[in-house]
Amino acid sequence: MKKLIFAIILTAILPQVYSQNVSCKIKGSDTVLPLTQKEAEVYMKKYPGSSIMVTGGGSGVGLAALQNGTTDIGQSSRKMKLDEKMKMQDAGKTSIETIIAYDALAVIVNPANKISQLTREQLESIYTGKVTNWKEVGGDDMPIVLYSRESSSGTFEFFKEHVLNKKNFAPTAMLMPATGAIVQSVSQTKGAIGYVGIAYLENTVKALKVSYDKGTTFVAPTVENAMNKSYPISRPLYYYYLNTTEKAVKPFVDFILSTEGQQIVKEVGYVPILSK
Amino acid sequence: MDLTYAIDLCARISKLKFMMTLYKRNLIKSLTFLVFLMPGISAFSQSTPTDPVKLAADTLNAKIENVKSDLDLLKKLKVSGYIQAQWQLADSAGQLSLFSGGAFAKNDDNRFMVRRGRVKFAYEGKLTQFVLQIDATEKGVTLKDAYVNFKDPWLQMFALQGGVFNRPFGFEIAYSSSLRETPERARVTQTLFPQERDLGAMLTIQPRKESRFNFIRLNAALINGNAISVETDSRKDFTGQLGINKSTRNEKFKYAVGVSYYNGGVFQETKKVYNMTTLADGLTKGFAVDSTESNKGQYAKREYFGADAQFSLDWAIGMTTLRGEYILGSQPGGSKSNISPAARVIPDIIVSDTYNRKFNGGYVYFIQNILNSRHEVVVKYDFYDPNTDVKGTDAKSSISYNESTIKTGLGGADVKYTTWGFGYNVRIAANVKLMAYYEIVKNEETALTGYSNDLKDNVLTIRAQFKF
Repeated sequence: MKKLIFAIILTAILPQVYSQNVSCKIKGSDTVLPLTQKEAEVYMKKYPGSSIMVTGGGSGVGLAALQNGTTDIGQSSRKMKLDEKMKMQDAGKTSIETIIAYDALAVIVNPANKISQLTREQLESIYTGKVTNWKEVGGDDMPIVLYSRESSSGTFEFFKEHVLNKKNFAPTAMLMPATGAIVQSVSQTKGAIGYVGIAYLENTVKALKVSYDKGTTFVAPTVENAMNKSYPISRPLYYYYLNTTEKAVKPFVDFILSTEGQQIVKEVGYVPILSK
Repeated sequence: MDLTYAIDLCARISKLKFMMTLYKRNLIKSLTFLVFLMPGISAFSQSTPTDPVKLAADTLNAKIENVKSDLDLLKKLKVSGYIQAQWQLADSAGQLSLFSGGAFAKNDDNRFMVRRGRVKFAYEGKLTQFVLQIDATEKGVTLKDAYVNFKDPWLQMFALQGGVFNRPFGFEIAYSSSLRETPERARVTQTLFPQERDLGAMLTIQPRKESRFNFIRLNAALINGNAISVETDSRKDFTGQLGINKSTRNEKFKYAVGVSYYNGGVFQETKKVYNMTTLADGLTKGFAVDSTESNKGQYAKREYFGADAQFSLDWAIGMTTLRGEYILGSQPGGSKSNISPAARVIPDIIVSDTYNRKFNGGYVYFIQNILNSRHEVVVKYDFYDPNTDVKGTDAKSSISYNESTIKTGLGGADVKYTTWGFGYNVRIAANVKLMAYYEIVKNEETALTGYSNDLKDNVLTIRAQFKF
């Protein structure tokens, strides 16, 4: 009798455990990368039969990979463009969009830089090339070295739209292929300035407080400030997957959206969706 | 060359896999040794330059770098293509469906055909692009695209293109037949721009992607004006296009508008040049000949003005797209044809007189995706009036005046056509699209011989497209 009950319980539980196993590839935004890596790591520990391969490359790269079938989930720090959706549609594919977390963008400088806060207008002047020396914004007499992500990056587009008011980056801005490269370059260059997701913040760089009310209040880029909406440079992070593969990837997506998954979001340095 | 390269690459990858297997085995052996025997010495051994694990890792890294650089090189070459196989049913055998995929044979009212069989090779460097596209069907193999494109290395907003390429005018010419929701382009597009492409050089000005003005694009080209064929006269035609293309911030609405201009000339092979005028009765419009000796060898003016717009809205019921284009201008042709010169040869076999006509034409597409699915419906309306000086029954072959008969010179080339098209498209797989499309072709009813009633020339097309 005991054996029978055990067998029934096993039959009931096993398929559920098995159905939570996920085998998929995730590609795209470098901003989302650390979060997905951590979520995948925890998920694979929890469901050892799972295999989740995560790579970066930029939002545009991930969404293109989703369209040409080389990834199961495209991770993006920007919304899918209408052109991309039309291409997807032409390929006979329908994508599903899910917001998995929010991110705050931090403006970073070298720790040796005495500047600790800037207004949006000052950031715009710096990144459009109107201001080229730190002394013009209250710093030392030192040329400003601009670091930015490449144009295929969702972070690039978000920064341009929300901080530069859609104005052009100065031609002197160095376009880096990955966020990690910006952190490294800023940490090694005294006059450097860059922007990264707050999950990338390290002690080797200094995150600036930012003002969006022309200098009245300056807010530090922290998870708490992003959660209480006082930090202005924040944005949603997306997963895109096809309706045909929804069943296969859904357990993992649901895990990220769960309380446990959102706790990881916070731990890695992003803003949980529930707080918004 | 490419095959050898691919084989070589496969060999390298196999070698790499083998190396990785070896590496894994060595790693396991080393770890076992380290864990069970000498953990203290292991720390020392990892820092020595002869460490086998480090050496294996370095070798692996070097191999990966080699494969990566090979792959990067290979990624520059892109091969794509599509085949459109179709069955068509005409209203009547021998139907002259020039604008619905070509005329039907004398005893044929339905046919299977490969409408397009395209293969495109593109090699893209950072600032250069090489493109070659051919079309292979049962009619033979023809060239479609063959051009090189250079972008300026400084501002990266100027690009120069030379070779055979789509004429920069309006929207429909450059919109790929593999993407188009209907089997063919509108009658006005096919008439004015046969084969869509021409030989020449084009300058494109578009601010780089990082610029806020990236949505503006200007194309200006100098071309032969003789489609995909050798040049037959000394005069070059100009065509240019200015357009914007933008999306709203929420990526739900996209709009594009443009204006285009074409200025060219058609060589007058004879001294007889016909222009529209009011005939002797003071009422009827018809052609009058100008036979000035110097006309021969001059150029008849070929001039088009165009405006186009495209809108797409992504909403709950699926993507809705609306497109339209309107063109007017002057078109030189023959007595029986108003189609632009295409594939003229030297020496020209047919020496024809020149007929100058003022025309207008346009089209509207309405495309509705059904609930963001693989299904869509399309309705298209297009019209082409090759001679706007005459309308309906005012178009006559001849008139009687003072007991004599005066020929108007008007004929089939002066008849206005309108076409309604209704279609359904479904993407049954990632590469496969099926299309069912019915065209109701209506000619205006005139007093011209053969055009007093609507001709039976509707066409049903069932098409399967495979694209890669």
